[in-house]
Amino acid sequence: MAPRKSPRERQMLVLESVIALVFVLVACVELCDGATVVDVYHLIQYDISGAPFGSRLAGLNHHATSLHFSPHADLSRTVLLIPLREFNISFVKEYIAENKPLGGLLFLLPQIFNFENKGEVGSNHLDGTEELLKNVLAELEQILIRTNLPYPVYFAFEDDNINAVLADIKKSDITGQPATATTGGYKFVVSALEPKSLVSPSITNIQGWLTGLKAGDDAHQLPTIAIVASYDTFGAAPALSVGSDSNGSGVVALLEVARLFSLLYSNPKTRGQYNLLFGLTSGGPYNYNGTRKWLRSFDQRLRESIDYAICIDSIGSWENELWIHVSKPPENSYIKQIMEDFSSVAEELGFNVNLKHKKINISNPRVAWEHEQFSRLRVTAATLSELSAAPELLEKTGGLIDSRHFVDEKAIIRGVKLVAESLARHIYGHQGKNIQIFADNSNLAVNPYYIRSWLDVLSQTPRVAPFFSKDDPFVMALKKELEDHTDEVNLQREALDGMFTFYDSTSAKLNIYQVASVTFDLLLLLVLGSYLIVLFSFLVITTRGLDDLISLFRRPPSRKVKTA
Amino acid sequence: SEYDTLGTSIKAAVVYLATALVKLICLATFLKVSESDSFDPYQELLKALIGFIDVAGLYFALAQLTHRNISQNHKFQAVGLGWAFADSVLHRLAPLWVGARGLEFTWDYILQGLEANANLVLSISLAALGSLMWLRKNKPKTLIPIIYVCAGIVATMPSITSYLRRGLGWHFPKIVGFELFTSLVMAFISWQLFSACQRPSL
Repeated sequence: MAPRKSPRERQMLVLESVIALVFVLVACVELCDGATVVDVYHLIQYDISGAPFGSRLAGLNHHATSLHFSPHADLSRTVLLIPLREFNISFVKEYIAENKPLGGLLFLLPQIFNFENKGEVGSNHLDGTEELLKNVLAELEQILIRTNLPYPVYFAFEDDNINAVLADIKKSDITGQPATATTGGYKFVVSALEPKSLVSPSITNIQGWLTGLKAGDDAHQLPTIAIVASYDTFGAAPALSVGSDSNGSGVVALLEVARLFSLLYSNPKTRGQYNLLFGLTSGGPYNYNGTRKWLRSFDQRLRESIDYAICIDSIGSWENELWIHVSKPPENSYIKQIMEDFSSVAEELGFNVNLKHKKINISNPRVAWEHEQFSRLRVTAATLSELSAAPELLEKTGGLIDSRHFVDEKAIIRGVKLVAESLARHIYGHQGKNIQIFADNSNLAVNPYYIRSWLDVLSQTPRVAPFFSKDDPFVMALKKELEDHTDEVNLQREALDGMFTFYDSTSAKLNIYQVASVTFDLLLLLVLGSYLIVLFSFLVITTRGLDDLISLFRRPPSRKVKTA
Repeated sequence: SEYDTLGTSIKAAVVYLATALVKLICLATFLKVSESDSFDPYQELLKALIGFIDVAGLYFALAQLTHRNISQNHKFQAVGLGWAFADSVLHRLAPLWVGARGLEFTWDYILQGLEANANLVLSISLAALGSLMWLRKNKPKTLIPIIYVCAGIVATMPSITSYLRRGLGWHFPKIVGFELFTSLVMAFISWQLFSACQRPSL
C-alpha cells in the first residue's frame, strides 16, 4: 500500500506549485520598450503574375549604420539609415543592381511628405530644395517598387528623436567603430510577423445617378452624360499613399460637380434633359480594372445611351493649361463638340485646353487613361488631366510624393468651373452664348470650403484598394456624400483581377535600443563579482577571523577511521 | 549554530510584510498624489509620520515576538537582517525582473543594489538601537538621549533621502553615495553605543 503523504508534505507540494506558477507568470511579462519608438511604414510587397516585387521581409533585428560606413564593411547584418536629404540615388541603384546583401534599409523622409503633419498647405511655390527632394523621392519610389528586395525596407519621418540617433550613429561611424555585437551601438528592432498574401482583395465602385427631365414622351430614353474619377492609389508605402493630386483632386472635383448639378436638378424648371451618371471607380492603378468591370455590368441599352463620358484625372497642380486626352479621332462629331464646349469655357476663364489623341491598341493590356476603358466598349469618352503624357504602369498613382503640400485648391476650383460650365452648355444648349451659370457670388458658385475640406480628408486617408476593409468607413463616406447629391446610389464590389497579389505588411513600430558591447558586460560582471567577494571576505574576517576564511578553501582533512 | 537565527529572520520578514501593508493603507488614505516632482513639506511630514509605523513594527518584532534560544546580542542582527531582506525583495525584485531583461543597459539596477546594501546596514543599526532602547534595562544615563537621537535620525532616513531627491534635486548616484556614507557612519555610532552599554556588567 502506498504510504499516505503527511499533511506537511502536502503543504510543501502546494507551496512549490504556487512558486512555480508565480515564476511562470512573471516570465511572461513583456520586455519594456526601448529608448525610442518610431512609427515606420513598410515598402509595398506585391507580385505581378507571380513575379515578386517590393520588400519581401518585414521583421528586423540588426545593428544600425549610416551612409558613412567604411567601404569594406559587411552590411549583410546591418540596417542602413539613409536620410533623404543626403541621399545619393546612384548609390542605391548600384546596391540594387549588384544584389549586394543588406540587413535592411530605413529611409528618413522630411516632414513635408507626412500627411499627419499640419504644416503649411497649398502653396505651389516650392523652394529649390523641396523641388529637388521631390524629384529624388519620385525616382527612388519608382526604383523601389519595381525591384525585388530580399530584405526589409521601411520609411520613417524625421523627428528629434531619430535625428539625435542618426547624429550619434554618424559620429561613431566616422571614428571607424561600426555597430556590431562586439562593439555595441544602436540596434533597430521591428517585431513583425511574416507577411501573408491578402486573400481575394476587392475593389468597390460607387455610382450615383441623377435623373433628367422626361419631356412628356416616356418611352424615349434620355441620353446620359457620365462623369468618372478613380479614387484609389498605389505607392511605395501603402500606409502613406494618400494621393492628393492623383486622384484626390479628381474625386473632389467630381463631388463638387455632383453637388452643383444636384442643386440645378432639384428644381424641375432647371432640370436638364440629360441623365447624369457619376462614377467613383476603384482599381485605377491596375489598368483601370474597376472601370472595366463597372462598364461591363451595364446593360447594352444603358451603354448606348451614354452620349459621352468625362474622366477626371489629376487636376490639382496646374498653372495655365489642361489636356483632354481622347482615343477616338478628333474628327469624331462628339469629340468636336466636347472640345468646342471646353475650349470656349476655358478661354473665358483665362487658360488653355489642348487636345491629345492616343490610339488604343486592343492587344496591349496596358490601359493608360480611364477613357480607354470606355472606348474599348465603344463609348465616347475623354480624360481631363494636367498631365500631357500617358503615365506608365504604376506611375503617377498617388505615391509618397503626392502630398497635400503640393496641391493647389485654386487649380481644382478652376477645373470644376471648366467641367461644370462645359457640361451645362451642352445640357442646356447654350453653345456660343456667353452665359455663366456657375458664376462667383451666386448661389451656384463653386464652394471653395467644400473643396478644401474634402481635399483635406482625402489627403489624410491612405487609399490603396486591396488594403480597404470590407465596408471601409471611407468608402461608406463617399457613398453617403454621393447619396446627398444624387437620386440613386449603387455599390459594386468585385474582386481584383488575378494578375496582382498583395501582402499585408503596411506599418509597424521600430524600437531603437542602445546596446552595450560584450566587453562592457564582461567587465561589469568582473567588477560586481569582485565587490561581492571582497564584501564576503571582509565580513568573514571581522566576525570569524582570517583562518576561517582560508579554511573555506582548504579541503576538510579526511577523517581517519578509528579501528576498533 | 545553537541559536535559532533563521526562524527569527523569517519572523522579522513577516512582520515587515504586515507593516508594509498597514503603511500602504495609511498612505493611500491620507496622502494626495502630487503632479509635480517637487518637495511638499506637508506631504513629506505626513510620510515621515507614517514612517514611524516602521519603527513600531520593528519594536513589535524585537520585543513582542518570543524567539527561541537567542541571546540579545544576536537577536537584533537576525531581526535587522530579516527586515532588510524583506524590504529589498518587496521593493526591488519586481522592477529588477521587468527592467533588467531589456536590451538596453542602465546603471539604475546596480545603484539599486548598492542602495539595498546601505539599507541593510541601516536596518541592522536601527534594530541595534531599538534593542538598546527596549530590551536592555540597565543603561548608563548619559547615553540614553544619544541613543534616542540616533534612532530618530535613522528612522527618518527615508524622509531625508526624498528631500534630497526632490528638494535639492540630487541625482540617483549621489543619493546612493550619501546613503552608503550615512549608513556606515550610523553603524559605527550604534556599534560604539552598543559596546558602551555592554561594559557595565552588573
